[in-house]
Amino acid sequence: MTHSRFVTPALVLDNVAAAYDRDPVLEGVSGSVERGGSLALIGPNGAGKSTLIKAILGLVPIVGGRIEVLGTTPSQARGDVAYVPQAEALDHEFPVDVLQVVLMGRYRRIGWVWRPNRAHKAAALEALDEVGLAHRAHDRFGVLSGGQRQRVLLARAVAQEAGLLLLDEPFNGVDATTTDSLLAVLEGLRAKGVAVVMSTHDLSVAHLACDAACLLNHHQVAFGPIAEALSADRLKATYGSSALLLEGGTTLIAR
Amino acid sequence: MWDLLVEPFSTDYMRRALVELVLLGVLGGVVGVYVLLRRLAFITEVVQHAVFPGIAVAFVVGQSLLAGALASGALAVALLAVGSRRRQIDADALMALLIATFFAFGVVVVSRGTGFQSDLTALLFGRILSVDQRELIDTAVVAVVCLLVLAALHKELVLRAFDPIGAEAAGYPIAALDLVLNLVVMLTIVAAVRALGTVLVVAFVVTPAATARLLVRRIGPMMVVAVAFAGLCGWLGLVVSYQGSVHHGWRLASGATVVMCLTVGFVLVAAGRAVVHVVRSRPVAAPSREPRPAAARP
Repeated sequence: MTHSRFVTPALVLDNVAAAYDRDPVLEGVSGSVERGGSLALIGPNGAGKSTLIKAILGLVPIVGGRIEVLGTTPSQARGDVAYVPQAEALDHEFPVDVLQVVLMGRYRRIGWVWRPNRAHKAAALEALDEVGLAHRAHDRFGVLSGGQRQRVLLARAVAQEAGLLLLDEPFNGVDATTTDSLLAVLEGLRAKGVAVVMSTHDLSVAHLACDAACLLNHHQVAFGPIAEALSADRLKATYGSSALLLEGGTTLIAR
Repeated sequence: MWDLLVEPFSTDYMRRALVELVLLGVLGGVVGVYVLLRRLAFITEVVQHAVFPGIAVAFVVGQSLLAGALASGALAVALLAVGSRRRQIDADALMALLIATFFAFGVVVVSRGTGFQSDLTALLFGRILSVDQRELIDTAVVAVVCLLVLAALHKELVLRAFDPIGAEAAGYPIAALDLVLNLVVMLTIVAAVRALGTVLVVAFVVTPAATARLLVRRIGPMMVVAVAFAGLCGWLGLVVSYQGSVHHGWRLASGATVVMCLTVGFVLVAAGRAVVHVVRSRPVAAPSREPRPAAARP
């Protein structure tokens, strides 16, 4: 992690409340993520994890508190924030190839009207190489497996060269190879000072990929170093009866 | 055979009709691919019905039909843009409401006029054979403007169609991009409505792109195939309607015949693709284990 009093945190959440209409779906979220740090957003389905990610992107209105992204407001920071959706959320039949998807991460740098040049294509291929899929650059996006599509979307975020990476359930339904690949790429990005925020149900992956966790269930249950935040009593407070305490202190989340 | 295909275009009005259909084929083929990528076929239907009252009112007050179509089409696009941003309003319900309202208003205007019968037929089904030089220039200008806009915004429109949340997260003004594409669709409909009529015009936008999507898997080639298919069907449609009407007394409406060619072409391509799929998915016969007879040596 980069700790410097001269460098602002990548993300500051100050008593944040977010709402789609009038009633907040998420309240009282406070904490920060340093540059190069990583935060796991953990909570049951519908707890507000995706809402918080969209609020950080400036896509969901904040009705209370404050969000600071890379030292500025979410809407002003958009160009420097990369968003990785779940691959399953995208149309597999869409007629676009893998390289084109990764190049989408360069569009803000390319600017309106202009087309990608050789340098942008080289950057996209390099990003694809990082996730081990450079050899699939000219295949149609839809013919890849779910895990490979997820890696392509991460490559798109890498190509964007953003300061903050937001991932929505990136490890959902992916194979072990993809999990290892995603973890290695995220580690590499963090070493370069990129902050990572991801929503996940997988506590073991959260332990591997993140140094902090935020437990949510419409409000903040805990926010802090991952070992402290993911204690049995806090998981119980977040998941209720879905959190099962096993012998030896391990907590199992029944989804 | 060649004479059969070329002979109809010995007259000026048939040549102008062909040029108009080729121009509309280029425009409709390209615009149709974006419509398909965004799954906007229903919006095309809305605009198609929305231009009808504008044309009717313009006819009654003696103003330019093009201006009337543009005004009512733009109003529908604006209402769509405003309504679809509101989470409480169901997008499909809004489009159905707009179709019914605009078309009903057009029918009311037409029904209050006198001697509208033939004009109403022209509005509904078009008059491709009476296209004049001025209308050709109008269509060419609209086509150039629309294609330039689409070329300039191509990568942004594709990103918006593929990953709308990703596009918004990257800071693109989604509402503005949607409005631009809807306006391009509206201009395409307005340009084509005089030739093909409000009922048939949607076929020239949707069918070529839908056919191309069955044949190719990349956006650029899809546009090329859609344009070629629209132009080919425009030519064939004119030939069939001319030969049928002049030499066989079948009285085939040109616009409708062109649309029928598009539909037949789409059905043939879809059937061909289904056959190819069946043939390819057949299990390959296992190789015989019996030894092959030795080849006879000279």
